Amino acid sequence: MQGSSLVGKAILLVLLLLACTGTALAAEDATMGMSPPVFFLVFLLVCIIIGIVAVLGGVGGGVVFTPLMMGFTDIDTFIIRATGLFVAMAGALVAARPFLRRGLANVRLLFFAAVPYATFAVIGALLAGYVKETMGATGDALVKLSLGVLVIFIALLILFGGKRVEYPEVKNVDSLSERLGLAMAYWEESLGGVVDYKVTRSPVAILLFCGVGLISGMFGLGAGWAMVPVFNLVMLAPLKVAAACSKVLIGIGDTAAIWPYIMGGGIFPLFAVPCMIGLIVGTLIGAKIMLRVKAGFVRYLIIAIMFGSGLKLLQSGLTGLGYL
Amino acid sequence: MGREEAPKPPLAGVVYGEIAYWMVIVGMVIAIAGSFIYLTSGGYVDSECLLAHLWAGADVHTIWEECAGIDEVPHGHWYLGMLGYGDAIAMLGIAIACLAAVVGMWGSVAAMFKEKEMLFAVFALVVAVILTLAAMGVITLKH
Repeated sequence: MQGSSLVGKAILLVLLLLACTGTALAAEDATMGMSPPVFFLVFLLVCIIIGIVAVLGGVGGGVVFTPLMMGFTDIDTFIIRATGLFVAMAGALVAARPFLRRGLANVRLLFFAAVPYATFAVIGALLAGYVKETMGATGDALVKLSLGVLVIFIALLILFGGKRVEYPEVKNVDSLSERLGLAMAYWEESLGGVVDYKVTRSPVAILLFCGVGLISGMFGLGAGWAMVPVFNLVMLAPLKVAAACSKVLIGIGDTAAIWPYIMGGGIFPLFAVPCMIGLIVGTLIGAKIMLRVKAGFVRYLIIAIMFGSGLKLLQSGLTGLGYL
Repeated sequence: MGREEAPKPPLAGVVYGEIAYWMVIVGMVIAIAGSFIYLTSGGYVDSECLLAHLWAGADVHTIWEECAGIDEVPHGHWYLGMLGYGDAIAMLGIAIACLAAVVGMWGSVAAMFKEKEMLFAVFALVVAVILTLAAMGVITLKH
Protein backbone atom coordinates (compact mmCIF):
# COMPACT_ATOMS: atom_id res chain seq x y z
CA MET A 1 0.00 0.00 0.00
CA GLN A 2 2.83 2.30 0.92
CA GLY A 3 4.38 1.59 -2.47
CA SER A 4 1.11 2.29 -4.30
CA SER A 5 0.79 5.67 -2.57
CA LEU A 6 4.37 6.48 -3.55
CA VAL A 7 3.64 5.63 -7.17
CA GLY A 8 0.47 7.75 -7.01
CA LYS A 9 2.50 10.71 -5.78
CA ALA A 10 5.06 10.10 -8.52
CA ILE A 11 2.33 10.15 -11.19
CA LEU A 12 0.89 13.37 -9.83
CA LEU A 13 4.34 14.91 -9.86
CA VAL A 14 4.95 13.86 -13.50
CA LEU A 15 1.62 15.35 -14.55
CA LEU A 16 2.34 18.52 -12.59
CA LEU A 17 5.78 18.88 -14.12
CA LEU A 18 4.44 18.23 -17.61
CA ALA A 19 1.71 20.79 -17.01
CA CYS A 20 4.34 23.28 -15.79
CA THR A 21 6.40 22.52 -18.90
CA GLY A 22 3.36 23.14 -21.11
CA THR A 23 2.55 26.37 -19.30
CA ALA A 24 6.16 27.40 -19.52
CA LEU A 25 6.17 26.77 -23.26
CA ALA A 26 3.25 29.12 -23.65
CA ALA A 27 5.08 31.88 -21.82
CA GLU A 28 6.75 34.78 -23.58
CA ASP A 29 10.12 34.49 -21.87
CA ALA A 30 12.57 32.67 -24.15
CA THR A 31 14.05 30.59 -21.32
CA MET A 32 10.57 29.88 -19.93
CA GLY A 33 11.56 31.48 -16.65
CA MET A 34 14.03 28.70 -15.93
CA SER A 35 17.70 29.24 -15.31
CA PRO A 36 20.01 26.46 -16.57
CA PRO A 37 20.49 25.00 -13.03
CA VAL A 38 16.71 24.92 -12.50
CA PHE A 39 16.26 23.30 -15.94
CA PHE A 40 18.88 20.70 -14.94
CA LEU A 41 17.09 19.92 -11.66
CA VAL A 42 13.60 19.83 -13.22
CA PHE A 43 14.69 17.37 -15.91
CA LEU A 44 16.59 15.33 -13.33
CA LEU A 45 13.38 15.02 -11.31
CA VAL A 46 11.17 14.32 -14.33
CA CYS A 47 13.55 11.59 -15.51
CA ILE A 48 13.80 9.99 -12.06
CA ILE A 49 10.01 9.68 -12.13
CA ILE A 50 9.99 8.40 -15.73
CA GLY A 51 12.63 5.83 -14.70
CA ILE A 52 10.53 4.68 -11.71
CA VAL A 53 7.30 4.41 -13.71
CA ALA A 54 9.03 2.70 -16.65
CA VAL A 55 10.67 -0.02 -14.58
CA LEU A 56 7.40 -0.67 -12.73
CA GLY A 57 5.62 -1.00 -16.07
CA GLY A 58 8.25 -3.42 -17.35
CA VAL A 59 9.60 -1.24 -20.18
CA GLY A 60 12.87 0.62 -20.66
CA GLY A 61 13.09 4.31 -19.73
CA GLY A 62 13.84 5.33 -23.31
CA VAL A 63 10.49 4.00 -24.55
CA VAL A 64 8.64 6.38 -22.19
CA PHE A 65 11.17 9.26 -22.38
CA THR A 66 11.24 9.81 -26.17
CA PRO A 67 7.46 9.88 -26.86
CA LEU A 68 6.78 12.03 -23.76
CA MET A 69 9.45 14.59 -24.66
CA MET A 70 8.49 14.62 -28.32
CA GLY A 71 4.77 14.84 -27.60
CA PHE A 72 4.80 17.41 -24.80
CA THR A 73 7.77 19.73 -25.53
CA ASP A 74 8.87 21.69 -28.59
CA ILE A 75 12.47 20.50 -28.27
CA ASP A 76 13.83 19.51 -31.71
CA THR A 77 13.05 15.86 -32.52
CA PHE A 78 16.67 15.20 -33.57
CA ILE A 79 17.95 16.29 -30.14
CA ILE A 80 15.26 14.28 -28.34
CA ARG A 81 16.03 11.14 -30.36
CA ALA A 82 19.77 11.53 -29.71
CA THR A 83 19.17 11.98 -25.98
CA GLY A 84 16.62 9.13 -25.91
CA LEU A 85 19.15 6.75 -27.45
CA PHE A 86 21.82 7.94 -25.04
CA VAL A 87 19.74 7.37 -21.91
CA ALA A 88 18.51 3.97 -23.15
CA MET A 89 22.10 2.96 -23.91
CA ALA A 90 23.57 4.15 -20.59
CA GLY A 91 20.86 2.35 -18.58
CA ALA A 92 21.31 -0.85 -20.57
CA LEU A 93 25.11 -0.84 -20.21
CA VAL A 94 24.90 -0.40 -16.44
CA ALA A 95 22.29 -3.18 -16.12
CA ALA A 96 24.16 -5.65 -18.36
CA ARG A 97 26.96 -6.51 -15.95
CA PRO A 98 25.08 -8.80 -13.51
CA PHE A 99 23.35 -10.66 -16.36
CA LEU A 100 26.70 -11.40 -18.01
CA ARG A 101 28.48 -12.30 -14.77
CA ARG A 102 25.76 -14.85 -13.94
CA GLY A 103 25.70 -16.24 -17.47
CA LEU A 104 22.01 -15.38 -17.78
CA ALA A 105 22.64 -13.45 -20.99
CA ASN A 106 23.71 -15.94 -23.69
CA VAL A 107 26.76 -14.40 -25.40
CA ARG A 108 26.46 -16.59 -28.50
CA LEU A 109 22.83 -15.53 -28.95
CA LEU A 110 23.86 -11.94 -28.26
CA PHE A 111 26.63 -11.69 -30.83
CA PHE A 112 24.48 -13.53 -33.37
CA ALA A 113 21.65 -10.98 -32.87
CA ALA A 114 23.97 -7.98 -32.52
CA VAL A 115 25.16 -8.11 -36.14
CA PRO A 116 21.75 -7.39 -37.79
CA TYR A 117 20.55 -5.23 -34.88
CA ALA A 118 23.61 -2.93 -34.73
CA THR A 119 23.87 -2.68 -38.53
CA PHE A 120 20.26 -1.61 -38.91
CA ALA A 121 20.38 0.67 -35.85
CA VAL A 122 23.11 2.66 -37.64
CA ILE A 123 21.08 2.65 -40.88
CA GLY A 124 18.05 3.88 -38.89
CA ALA A 125 20.05 6.73 -37.34
CA LEU A 126 21.42 7.74 -40.75
CA LEU A 127 17.94 7.55 -42.25
CA ALA A 128 16.57 9.78 -39.48
CA GLY A 129 19.29 12.35 -40.20
CA TYR A 130 18.58 12.17 -43.93
CA VAL A 131 14.84 12.74 -43.40
CA LYS A 132 15.58 15.67 -41.10
CA GLU A 133 18.09 17.18 -43.50
CA THR A 134 16.17 16.81 -46.72
CA MET A 135 12.60 17.32 -45.55
CA GLY A 136 12.96 19.90 -42.75
CA ALA A 137 9.69 20.61 -40.90
CA THR A 138 7.77 18.10 -43.01
CA GLY A 139 10.32 15.44 -42.06
CA ASP A 140 9.87 16.35 -38.40
CA ALA A 141 6.11 16.04 -38.70
CA LEU A 142 6.43 12.68 -40.47
CA VAL A 143 8.75 11.40 -37.73
CA LYS A 144 6.25 12.49 -35.04
CA LEU A 145 3.37 10.89 -36.94
CA SER A 146 5.23 7.59 -37.43
CA LEU A 147 6.38 7.53 -33.83
CA GLY A 148 2.81 8.22 -32.69
CA VAL A 149 1.58 5.19 -34.65
CA LEU A 150 4.46 3.10 -33.31
CA VAL A 151 3.89 4.12 -29.67
CA ILE A 152 0.16 3.31 -29.90
CA PHE A 153 1.12 -0.04 -31.45
CA ILE A 154 3.51 -0.73 -28.54
CA ALA A 155 0.76 0.18 -26.04
CA LEU A 156 -1.61 -2.26 -27.80
CA LEU A 157 1.13 -4.89 -27.80
CA ILE A 158 1.52 -4.50 -24.03
CA LEU A 159 -2.28 -4.57 -23.61
CA PHE A 160 -3.16 -7.51 -25.85
CA GLY A 161 0.24 -9.08 -26.60
CA GLY A 162 0.71 -12.82 -26.40
CA LYS A 163 1.47 -14.26 -23.01
CA ARG A 164 5.18 -14.66 -22.48
CA VAL A 165 6.33 -18.16 -21.62
CA GLU A 166 8.83 -18.72 -18.83
CA TYR A 167 10.27 -21.94 -20.26
CA PRO A 168 9.08 -22.42 -23.86
CA GLU A 169 9.19 -25.94 -25.23
CA VAL A 170 11.38 -26.31 -28.33
CA LYS A 171 10.19 -29.26 -30.42
CA ASN A 172 12.20 -28.70 -33.61
CA VAL A 173 15.48 -26.83 -33.88
CA ASP A 174 16.09 -25.37 -37.35
CA SER A 175 19.32 -26.30 -39.11
CA LEU A 176 20.89 -22.83 -38.82
CA SER A 177 20.36 -22.65 -35.03
CA GLU A 178 21.66 -26.21 -34.76
CA ARG A 179 24.79 -25.49 -36.81
CA LEU A 180 25.52 -22.24 -34.99
CA GLY A 181 25.19 -23.93 -31.62
CA LEU A 182 23.26 -21.05 -30.04
CA ALA A 183 21.95 -23.13 -27.13
CA MET A 184 23.55 -22.68 -23.71
CA ALA A 185 22.75 -23.36 -20.07
CA TYR A 186 22.36 -21.14 -17.02
CA TRP A 187 21.93 -21.52 -13.28
CA GLU A 188 18.32 -20.87 -12.25
CA GLU A 189 18.23 -19.70 -8.65
CA SER A 190 14.49 -20.27 -8.15
CA LEU A 191 14.78 -23.91 -9.30
CA GLY A 192 18.08 -24.51 -7.58
CA GLY A 193 19.43 -26.15 -10.73
CA VAL A 194 20.80 -25.71 -14.21
CA VAL A 195 18.44 -24.93 -17.09
CA ASP A 196 19.61 -26.35 -20.42
CA TYR A 197 17.68 -24.72 -23.22
CA LYS A 198 17.54 -24.69 -27.01
CA VAL A 199 16.59 -21.92 -29.40
CA THR A 200 15.10 -22.08 -32.89
CA ARG A 201 13.84 -20.02 -35.89
CA SER A 202 17.12 -18.13 -36.33
CA PRO A 203 16.45 -17.04 -39.95
CA VAL A 204 13.15 -15.35 -38.98
CA ALA A 205 14.81 -13.79 -35.95
CA ILE A 206 17.55 -12.24 -38.14
CA LEU A 207 14.91 -10.40 -40.18
CA LEU A 208 13.10 -9.25 -37.05
CA PHE A 209 16.34 -7.96 -35.49
CA CYS A 210 16.95 -5.92 -38.65
CA GLY A 211 13.51 -4.28 -38.27
CA VAL A 212 13.89 -3.67 -34.54
CA GLY A 213 17.34 -2.10 -35.05
CA LEU A 214 16.00 0.19 -37.75
CA ILE A 215 13.17 1.41 -35.50
CA SER A 216 15.52 1.85 -32.54
CA GLY A 217 18.02 3.96 -34.49
CA MET A 218 15.40 5.93 -36.38
CA PHE A 219 13.23 6.92 -33.42
CA GLY A 220 15.74 6.94 -30.56
CA LEU A 221 13.97 4.25 -28.58
CA GLY A 222 15.39 1.40 -26.55
CA ALA A 223 13.84 -1.72 -28.06
CA GLY A 224 13.29 -4.14 -25.19
CA TRP A 225 9.53 -4.12 -25.91
CA ALA A 226 10.28 -5.80 -29.26
CA MET A 227 13.40 -7.81 -28.50
CA VAL A 228 12.06 -9.77 -25.52
CA PRO A 229 9.18 -11.20 -27.67
CA VAL A 230 11.63 -12.02 -30.49
CA PHE A 231 13.92 -13.98 -28.15
CA ASN A 232 11.11 -15.51 -26.08
CA LEU A 233 8.18 -16.08 -28.48
CA VAL A 234 10.02 -16.49 -31.80
CA MET A 235 13.34 -18.10 -30.82
CA LEU A 236 11.78 -19.80 -27.77
CA ALA A 237 14.51 -18.82 -25.30
CA PRO A 238 13.50 -18.87 -21.59
CA LEU A 239 11.93 -15.59 -20.48
CA LYS A 240 14.77 -14.61 -18.14
CA VAL A 241 17.37 -15.28 -20.85
CA ALA A 242 15.28 -13.24 -23.32
CA ALA A 243 15.05 -10.28 -20.94
CA ALA A 244 18.77 -10.42 -20.09
CA CYS A 245 19.84 -10.71 -23.76
CA SER A 246 17.50 -7.87 -24.71
CA LYS A 247 18.99 -5.55 -22.08
CA VAL A 248 22.58 -6.28 -23.13
CA LEU A 249 21.72 -5.97 -26.83
CA ILE A 250 20.13 -2.53 -26.32
CA GLY A 251 23.48 -1.33 -24.96
CA ILE A 252 25.33 -2.61 -28.05
CA GLY A 253 22.81 -1.53 -30.71
CA ASP A 254 22.14 1.90 -29.26
CA THR A 255 25.89 2.54 -29.05
CA ALA A 256 26.06 1.93 -32.79
CA ALA A 257 23.15 4.31 -33.37
CA ILE A 258 24.19 7.07 -30.95
CA TRP A 259 27.49 7.96 -32.64
CA PRO A 260 25.99 9.38 -35.84
CA TYR A 261 23.85 11.64 -33.60
CA ILE A 262 26.89 12.71 -31.52
CA MET A 263 28.89 13.40 -34.67
CA GLY A 264 25.90 15.37 -35.96
CA GLY A 265 26.06 17.68 -32.92
CA GLY A 266 22.75 16.40 -31.49
CA ILE A 267 23.85 15.82 -27.88
CA PHE A 268 23.90 18.76 -25.47
CA PRO A 269 25.14 17.96 -21.95
CA LEU A 270 22.67 20.39 -20.31
CA PHE A 271 19.83 18.18 -21.58
CA ALA A 272 21.50 14.75 -21.80
CA VAL A 273 23.26 14.56 -18.40
CA PRO A 274 20.23 15.15 -16.10
CA CYS A 275 18.16 12.78 -18.24
CA MET A 276 20.82 10.05 -18.03
CA ILE A 277 21.31 10.38 -14.26
CA GLY A 278 17.57 10.70 -13.68
CA LEU A 279 16.64 7.57 -15.62
CA ILE A 280 19.38 5.46 -14.04
CA VAL A 281 18.49 6.63 -10.50
CA GLY A 282 14.76 6.22 -11.27
CA THR A 283 15.34 2.68 -12.52
CA LEU A 284 17.21 1.77 -9.32
CA ILE A 285 14.45 3.26 -7.13
CA GLY A 286 11.74 1.63 -9.28
CA ALA A 287 13.36 -1.78 -8.88
CA LYS A 288 13.04 -1.43 -5.08
CA ILE A 289 9.44 -0.14 -5.20
CA MET A 290 8.50 -2.99 -7.54
CA LEU A 291 8.53 -5.41 -4.63
CA ARG A 292 5.76 -3.47 -2.89
CA VAL A 293 3.28 -2.45 -5.61
CA LYS A 294 0.69 -4.27 -7.69
CA ALA A 295 2.21 -4.73 -11.14
CA GLY A 296 -1.20 -4.67 -12.87
CA PHE A 297 -1.91 -1.08 -11.82
CA VAL A 298 1.42 0.17 -13.15
CA ARG A 299 0.99 -1.77 -16.38
CA TYR A 300 -2.25 0.09 -17.08
CA LEU A 301 -0.54 3.36 -16.12
CA ILE A 302 2.20 2.76 -18.71
CA ILE A 303 -0.42 1.88 -21.34
CA ALA A 304 -2.27 5.15 -20.52
CA ILE A 305 0.95 7.21 -20.73
CA MET A 306 1.86 5.62 -24.05
CA PHE A 307 -1.61 6.12 -25.53
CA GLY A 308 -1.56 9.77 -24.35
CA SER A 309 1.91 10.37 -25.83
CA GLY A 310 0.99 8.55 -29.04
CA LEU A 311 -2.16 10.61 -29.58
CA LYS A 312 -0.26 13.84 -28.84
CA LEU A 313 2.41 12.82 -31.38
CA LEU A 314 -0.25 12.03 -33.98
CA GLN A 315 -1.82 15.45 -33.35
CA SER A 316 1.58 17.23 -33.64
CA GLY A 317 2.45 15.28 -36.78
CA LEU A 318 -0.87 15.99 -38.47
CA THR A 319 -0.65 19.67 -37.47
CA GLY A 320 2.88 19.85 -38.90
CA LEU A 321 1.66 18.35 -42.17
CA GLY A 322 -1.20 20.85 -42.31
CA TYR A 323 -4.04 18.35 -41.82
CA LEU A 324 -5.19 19.85 -38.48
CA MET B 1 17.69 -29.48 -15.82
CA GLY B 2 19.31 -31.84 -13.37
CA ARG B 3 22.91 -30.71 -13.02
CA GLU B 4 23.64 -29.13 -9.67
CA GLU B 5 26.75 -27.18 -10.59
CA ALA B 6 26.37 -23.65 -12.00
CA PRO B 7 27.89 -23.35 -15.49
CA LYS B 8 30.86 -21.02 -15.71
CA PRO B 9 29.82 -17.76 -17.42
CA PRO B 10 31.60 -17.27 -20.77
CA LEU B 11 34.70 -15.10 -20.44
CA ALA B 12 33.65 -12.92 -23.41
CA GLY B 13 30.45 -11.89 -21.61
CA VAL B 14 32.18 -11.16 -18.31
CA VAL B 15 34.86 -9.07 -20.04
CA TYR B 16 32.24 -7.07 -21.97
CA GLY B 17 30.07 -6.52 -18.88
CA GLU B 18 32.93 -5.34 -16.66
CA ILE B 19 34.45 -2.97 -19.22
CA ALA B 20 31.05 -1.51 -20.23
CA TYR B 21 29.88 -1.04 -16.64
CA TRP B 22 33.00 0.69 -15.34
CA MET B 23 33.41 2.91 -18.38
CA VAL B 24 29.81 4.13 -18.07
CA ILE B 25 30.34 4.85 -14.37
CA VAL B 26 33.57 6.79 -15.08
CA GLY B 27 31.82 8.63 -17.93
CA MET B 28 28.89 9.52 -15.67
CA VAL B 29 31.18 10.91 -12.96
CA ILE B 30 33.07 13.06 -15.50
CA ALA B 31 29.77 14.20 -17.09
CA ILE B 32 28.37 15.22 -13.69
CA ALA B 33 31.57 17.09 -12.77
CA GLY B 34 31.58 18.83 -16.17
CA SER B 35 27.91 19.77 -15.82
CA PHE B 36 28.60 21.28 -12.41
CA ILE B 37 31.42 23.41 -13.88
CA TYR B 38 29.19 24.31 -16.86
CA LEU B 39 26.33 25.45 -14.63
CA THR B 40 28.56 27.44 -12.29
CA SER B 41 31.07 29.04 -14.65
CA GLY B 42 29.73 28.79 -18.20
CA GLY B 43 30.87 26.83 -21.21
CA TYR B 44 31.63 26.72 -24.92
CA VAL B 45 27.90 26.71 -25.75
CA ASP B 46 26.14 29.51 -23.87
CA SER B 47 23.72 27.76 -21.50
CA GLU B 48 21.04 30.52 -21.39
CA CYS B 49 21.03 30.72 -25.17
CA LEU B 50 20.94 26.92 -25.47
CA LEU B 51 17.98 26.75 -23.09
CA ALA B 52 16.05 29.42 -24.98
CA HIS B 53 16.65 27.69 -28.30
CA LEU B 54 15.86 24.24 -26.92
CA TRP B 55 12.45 25.45 -25.69
CA ALA B 56 11.84 27.24 -28.97
CA GLY B 57 12.42 24.00 -30.90
CA ALA B 58 15.49 25.29 -32.75
CA ASP B 59 17.48 22.75 -34.76
CA VAL B 60 21.09 21.82 -33.97
CA HIS B 61 22.48 24.02 -36.73
CA THR B 62 20.77 27.13 -35.30
CA ILE B 63 21.83 26.28 -31.74
CA TRP B 64 25.50 25.86 -32.66
CA GLU B 65 25.45 29.01 -34.75
CA GLU B 66 23.65 31.20 -32.22
CA CYS B 67 24.98 29.81 -28.94
CA ALA B 68 28.56 28.81 -29.81
CA GLY B 69 29.11 31.41 -32.51
CA ILE B 70 30.25 28.95 -35.18
CA ASP B 71 28.92 28.69 -38.71
CA GLU B 72 28.67 24.92 -38.90
CA VAL B 73 27.76 22.05 -36.63
CA PRO B 74 31.13 20.76 -35.34
CA HIS B 75 31.22 17.25 -36.77
CA GLY B 76 33.42 14.86 -34.84
CA HIS B 77 34.89 15.10 -31.37
CA TRP B 78 34.66 18.89 -30.91
CA TYR B 79 35.00 18.67 -27.12
CA LEU B 80 38.58 17.31 -27.21
CA GLY B 81 39.99 20.69 -28.15
CA MET B 82 37.82 22.60 -25.67
CA LEU B 83 38.46 20.84 -22.37
CA GLY B 84 38.82 24.14 -20.53
CA TYR B 85 35.01 24.46 -20.71
CA GLY B 86 32.53 22.68 -18.43
CA ASP B 87 30.24 21.50 -21.23
CA ALA B 88 33.20 20.06 -23.15
CA ILE B 89 34.23 18.11 -20.03
CA ALA B 90 30.64 16.89 -19.64
CA MET B 91 30.62 15.90 -23.32
CA LEU B 92 33.88 14.01 -22.78
CA GLY B 93 32.11 12.06 -20.00
CA ILE B 94 29.18 11.33 -22.34
CA ALA B 95 31.62 10.17 -25.04
CA ILE B 96 33.43 7.88 -22.58
CA ALA B 97 30.06 6.35 -21.62
CA CYS B 98 29.24 5.92 -25.32
CA LEU B 99 32.65 4.29 -25.90
CA ALA B 100 31.96 1.69 -23.20
CA ALA B 101 30.34 -0.82 -25.54
CA VAL B 102 32.97 -0.19 -28.25
CA VAL B 103 35.87 -1.05 -25.92
CA GLY B 104 33.81 -3.83 -24.32
CA MET B 105 33.20 -5.44 -27.71
CA TRP B 106 36.92 -5.46 -28.55
CA GLY B 107 37.56 -7.09 -25.16
CA SER B 108 34.93 -9.69 -26.06
CA VAL B 109 36.52 -10.33 -29.45
CA ALA B 110 39.86 -11.06 -27.75
CA ALA B 111 38.16 -13.31 -25.19
CA MET B 112 36.23 -15.19 -27.90
CA PHE B 113 39.45 -15.83 -29.85
CA LYS B 114 41.15 -16.93 -26.64
CA GLU B 115 38.34 -19.41 -25.98
CA LYS B 116 38.58 -20.56 -29.64
CA GLU B 117 34.94 -19.72 -30.36
CA MET B 118 35.91 -18.64 -33.89
CA LEU B 119 32.46 -18.16 -35.43
CA PHE B 120 31.18 -16.00 -32.58
CA ALA B 121 34.51 -14.18 -32.45
CA VAL B 122 33.86 -13.19 -36.08
CA PHE B 123 30.31 -12.01 -35.20
CA ALA B 124 31.74 -9.96 -32.31
CA LEU B 125 34.46 -8.61 -34.61
CA VAL B 126 31.88 -7.42 -37.16
CA VAL B 127 29.95 -5.59 -34.42
CA ALA B 128 33.16 -4.15 -32.92
CA VAL B 129 34.17 -2.79 -36.35
CA ILE B 130 30.71 -1.22 -36.90
CA LEU B 131 30.82 0.42 -33.45
CA THR B 132 34.39 1.64 -34.00
CA LEU B 133 33.62 3.15 -37.41
CA ALA B 134 30.61 4.93 -35.90
CA ALA B 135 32.68 6.22 -32.95
CA MET B 136 35.43 7.45 -35.27
CA GLY B 137 32.91 9.46 -37.24
CA VAL B 138 33.32 7.45 -40.44
CA ILE B 139 29.59 6.71 -40.29
CA THR B 140 28.13 10.15 -39.70
CA LEU B 141 25.29 12.57 -40.42
CA LYS B 142 26.26 15.71 -42.27
CA HIS B 143 24.25 18.88 -41.95
